[in-house]
Amino acid sequence: MGIADARAMHPRIEIIEADPDADRRLLESLADWCDRFTPLVALNGADGLFLDINGCAHLFGGEDAMLEEIVRRLTHQGFDARAALASTPGMAWAATRYYEGRDRNVPAGEEEHALAPLPLAALRLEEKTRFGLESVGLRHVGALLGAPRAPLARRFGSMLITRLDQALGMIEEVISPRLPVAPLSVERQLAEPIGTREDIERLVLILARTLKGDLERRGEGARRLQLSLFRVDGAVVRIRVGTSRPLREPPLIARLFQERLTALENSLDAGYGFDLVRLSVAVAVPFVMQQADFSGHASEEEEALSLLADRIRARLGNGAILVPALVESHVPERRARFAPIEEEARARPTGTTGPLPTAGARPIRLLEKPEPVTASAEVPEGPPLSFRWRRALYRVARAEGPERIASEWWHEDPPAPTRDYFHVEDMAGRRYWLYREGLYGETAAPRWFLHGIFP
Amino acid sequence: MARTAMAQETICALRRKIARIEGALPERLAAPEEGESLVLRRYGRPEGAAAPMSLAETGTPRLDAALGGGILQAALTEVIGRETRDSGIVSGFSLALAAIASRAGAFSAEGARPVLWVATADILAEAGFPYAPSVEQFFGLTPDRLLLVRANRLEDALWAAEEAARLGGFSATFLELRGNPARLDLTATRRLHHRARDAGRPVFLIRHSSEPEPTAAPTRLLVSPAPSSLRETLAGPLPRSIGPPAFAVTLARSRTGKTGTFTLEWNPHDFVFQERWPTGERGSAFKSSRGAQDTGGMATASFDRPDPAPPVRGGLAPARKERRAG
Repeated sequence: MGIADARAMHPRIEIIEADPDADRRLLESLADWCDRFTPLVALNGADGLFLDINGCAHLFGGEDAMLEEIVRRLTHQGFDARAALASTPGMAWAATRYYEGRDRNVPAGEEEHALAPLPLAALRLEEKTRFGLESVGLRHVGALLGAPRAPLARRFGSMLITRLDQALGMIEEVISPRLPVAPLSVERQLAEPIGTREDIERLVLILARTLKGDLERRGEGARRLQLSLFRVDGAVVRIRVGTSRPLREPPLIARLFQERLTALENSLDAGYGFDLVRLSVAVAVPFVMQQADFSGHASEEEEALSLLADRIRARLGNGAILVPALVESHVPERRARFAPIEEEARARPTGTTGPLPTAGARPIRLLEKPEPVTASAEVPEGPPLSFRWRRALYRVARAEGPERIASEWWHEDPPAPTRDYFHVEDMAGRRYWLYREGLYGETAAPRWFLHGIFP
Repeated sequence: MARTAMAQETICALRRKIARIEGALPERLAAPEEGESLVLRRYGRPEGAAAPMSLAETGTPRLDAALGGGILQAALTEVIGRETRDSGIVSGFSLALAAIASRAGAFSAEGARPVLWVATADILAEAGFPYAPSVEQFFGLTPDRLLLVRANRLEDALWAAEEAARLGGFSATFLELRGNPARLDLTATRRLHHRARDAGRPVFLIRHSSEPEPTAAPTRLLVSPAPSSLRETLAGPLPRSIGPPAFAVTLARSRTGKTGTFTLEWNPHDFVFQERWPTGERGSAFKSSRGAQDTGGMATASFDRPDPAPPVRGGLAPARKERRAG
């Protein structure tokens, strides 16, 4: 039916354009919200969610109570939701969509009986297969159940049999959860929603204490932690922190989240409060107990340093702490650049990166990008007489150089022009590192750049 | 007359009181009393931490005298550069001070503690990143012990520096920023200073394109560029060459109340400053002051050649004779 026809029938109809992206986002946020029931939530098509509630139902007072709770909560949020519970995803899918009336819980073993009266569409079949079956008079699943399987498979493809078996539980069907399942998590349901930062921090400490026992039993420490805050109105906030060494101590974990929460202060919208708080260990690694030296000073200090690094990263962001990443290269900016601490540890080559055999004077500060300057030189290949950098004119009193640094052709394609570096000092005593890019003859008009500042 | 004397006395007494509260030395007192330093010492100080009043000599007698014996090893020290384009000189001077202040567990020592350099993102973009190979070359700090924190906001930078200063696990902490932000007032600097004092480690506040303003740092130094001397070679100074880093330093505030202007040269081999006398020719004065102190092989290698430096001071000749005799 077109819009015109619809308007003819109901003149006051409201027309809203379809927005599949927004629908998708809504479904995803619903999936986030469903995290409160089970960590295994999968999207199904454009309008469905699979929840694997194996081992979760008892937390909500049994399967029926849980089903009711989910539907009730969704209805409260304004969704017209239908739900069903079964032993197989296929059966649950069919029951959700094709049962009239109340939401249902199909007990295990009764799939055949429950499926029989449903139309063929309940089997998640392709349209072509379904039409084919209907054209030969098979309109209900029950008709297929009694029919011999071999001819069916021959005529309508093996998918039909697979779907049938999946719904009946004869073939295992796995759903793919949206989020990785944390090896460990603890949570607390709150009767009274909380909203202030202090409350959240206190709760994190309590949860971390519970977590400590579990981590100890497994002989592990957390390398990455996630705090999930479930807001009353359905939104979920996830806060992650990383640690540089396996962590177990509740106060330290609470401290890290404290920094992160402080940093998020303005962007964290508590709304009407959070009614479920979950702390999960996203990555756990074996916790190696180390014998401290006699005084215990060195290891304590190292621990304190790594904790500070973690806290700075929690507060300022993951890329806030940088360490020099050294590479054996003659190109100055490649030789040493600052990289985030994690990245550097991964990229560090196993070989040695000692000082290069012959390196001239190097500036104490290197500009991130060489800045173009206008320079005039006495002789084409010689040092500059004067140059203009950031709108100020510098007259060169003395100069050393050139130090010729050719491009590393095995890295660059096409190779960058050769650079001639000069260490210059101006009349006032400022010392800079300039280079001329390209040799005369190699390029038409070599340009000058300022690359570093000497002490 | 008697009233002014009374007032003076009261002021003196008050100053002493303030100094005691701040943990600084009373004016013009050579060394702290034993009891005082004991009171100031806290429990839980990291191993090898400097006592609140311990000093490290810079190597130049005149500057040391003005500083009251050397640079404070457990305090906030402020280094100011008037223009951002002098960032190399200002950061180089700060690193030099840090290398001196942490001499006990020097930068160059095996297993020494790391250094934390906290900078705001804007100053890193404008003045460039510290260049690790050069930091090692000039100041002996190996790259694996240099940690840089890049903060987008000043508050974050201050927080990181304060936390690091409190920890005391770094051989030095640098806080580098630009201009005269209102947030960096007396209170903020006092917090930094107290944490440095309690942890027993130096904290350096580096301010680029900034004007001196009242802060709680007991030492404030203004650094501006100075022409370097000529490079020393076996055959004497090399013409038109650029020698070791040189700084024109103005001591704007010190514990002793003395101020002064100095032209210093950094010796990247021994990690000490050498003062260059403002009078005299470029290169020659440096050579003579050095010749009087140095007992290395350099002077012996050139003693039979004509000295390029004119004999500016009488002290030079006897010193040479003595050495030749010895």
